[in-house]
Amino acid sequence: MLKKNLLALPVALAVAGVAYAGSGMLPEDALEMQIKKTNSSSYLTQSPQNLMMMPDNPAWEVVEAGEALFKQPRGPKNASLEKCDFGKGPGVLEGAHAELPRYFADTGKVMDLDTRLVHCMKTLQGFTNDDPAIKQKHGSKTDIMKLQAYIGSKSSGMPWNPPMNHPLEKAMRDAGEVMFYRRSATMDFSCATCHTQTGKRIRASVLPSVYDAADWTKAISWPAHRTSHEQVRSSQHRVLECLWQMRYPDIKNGSDASIAMISFWTDAARGEPVIVPDLKR
Amino acid sequence: MFNKTPIAAVAAASLLLIAGGCSATNAGKTEAAKPMAMAAAAPAAPAKVDYTKMSAKDLAEYLIFEAEGYDLKQATQEGTSGRDRLVQDEIQKACSLMKGQEVSDKDREKVMALAAASIKYPEGGIKLGDWKKGRELAWSGFGYRTAHNPDDHSKREAGGNCYNCHQLATDRTGGDIGPSLTGYGKNRGASEDMLKYTYDVIYNPHTYFACTNMPRMGAVGVLNHKQIADIMAYLFDPASPVNK
Ligand code: HEC
Ligand code: HEC
Repeated sequence: MLKKNLLALPVALAVAGVAYAGSGMLPEDALEMQIKKTNSSSYLTQSPQNLMMMPDNPAWEVVEAGEALFKQPRGPKNASLEKCDFGKGPGVLEGAHAELPRYFADTGKVMDLDTRLVHCMKTLQGFTNDDPAIKQKHGSKTDIMKLQAYIGSKSSGMPWNPPMNHPLEKAMRDAGEVMFYRRSATMDFSCATCHTQTGKRIRASVLPSVYDAADWTKAISWPAHRTSHEQVRSSQHRVLECLWQMRYPDIKNGSDASIAMISFWTDAARGEPVIVPDLKR
Repeated sequence: MFNKTPIAAVAAASLLLIAGGCSATNAGKTEAAKPMAMAAAAPAAPAKVDYTKMSAKDLAEYLIFEAEGYDLKQATQEGTSGRDRLVQDEIQKACSLMKGQEVSDKDREKVMALAAASIKYPEGGIKLGDWKKGRELAWSGFGYRTAHNPDDHSKREAGGNCYNCHQLATDRTGGDIGPSLTGYGKNRGASEDMLKYTYDVIYNPHTYFACTNMPRMGAVGVLNHKQIADIMAYLFDPASPVNK
């Protein structure tokens, strides 16, 4: 099925330890490559069950549902999303997620996968903010999650490469970096408190460090099925959750603040392969 | 340095613009702003700031506070707002160190002095409380979380989060962002100096460790005197599993 459609060739290359080059790779193979590269880092290998389950990741069902939704004419304009431009031209999904967030001339904004998808659902399909298709952001049953999982999977194995050519892309990334180190709220936490040392733990959870790109790519590889939630989750959702633990107020979905954060964290994984859909705790 | 001033000036100018342009939609900002916005009734073409003209720091502040990055009106357990949670105090500002950046000597002194000045001791001196209560407080990560799922303090008291970062007794798994505190009382003894040091660290650790990752549980009011006494009993009491 869908999964099988991914090229077998790059998989063979990965197994042979040959450098991948721009073509797709199954997430479990991309992850396997990272585990080798890091000499089995404690972050990547902390859940043997999840590693074993990767080939049967429940997220694949969500990916498939997303493919169907993507191609189906929907909304007031009865159009599919096949003309949506995620940055590599209308309808081009291969490698698109690996190059997000990026600047879009048609909106004059830097957008991540979530906001770009919503943009297309509005402009091409005629949905509005009040439609459940757009309003419901979280959980495997939502259109947004299905579509993101599908689109994201089309970059699996490709190196993260968010463009930094437009001055706005750079400005957003740099502001995201400042936010990453900015301490505030009840516990004085910044993201850096928990994500700048290798192999440290909060209780039993091994924390990924933003300085270890080979680990960090897994940390930022969303959509991912979270076994503890039994749901597929997005990057935007992960930001929400860490901020909740940090005692911050809600960050607004799709806000420039959230996109700046995601721009910085994606840039920190530059060159490492996308692992989507991933499986996380 | 030479291009610093013009950039700051441009940023300041754009901030002024947006503050004016947004007041019409920003319900209930200040009473004074309202009549002005109404008088200006013209459909507010939102003033556009140029992100690329701002320093990374100014842009971050702008995205957080002006560009509706967070729910700034969100209620907090302490009766303040989301905005108040995000505004930095002196210690948070001095300790927001970027990659490879060390706290300057001047800031270190300032942080340590501010921290020392924040400490309030219980009447009757530092005493040890009930280690069993302290055990639960050291384990609990409950409290002060807001966002999409606010902690209800009327149902449960806020905890100390100690196990998030420290190994304490070995019957539970602790984190290792902070050093292991296993055997704390047994190894260090419970002298008056030791009790005071530990109280200070729990109350405001910047007193000794400027810009530490450990929160200021006493100074910000997460833990009261009694709770600190209970947690200290958990650290020092010979009967506590920490010292077994
Ligand atoms: C108090 C500690 C703490 C802080 C502060 C914190 N995080 Fe996390 N973060 C965690 C924990 C714990 C996990 C789960 C790790 C795991 O399960 O292995 C996590 C997971 C993540 C992940 C996904 C990795 C995974 O395997 O699930 C990302 C990405 C992330 N955090 C980013 C951030 C960002 C961005 C911030 C700042 C807005 C932040 N974190 C602040 C503790 C923290
Ligand atoms: C976010 C992580 C974090 C949390 C939560 C935390 N600590 Fe700490 N703690 C640290 C770090 C890091 C240090 C080391 C100080 C330094 O060098 O920055 C430390 C140091 C200490 C020390 C001094 C250790 C020594 O060797 O002298 C004590 C005592 C201590 N913590 C107790 C506690 C207690 C009790 C709690 C719960 C109320 C707690 N900590 C919560 C991170 C944390």
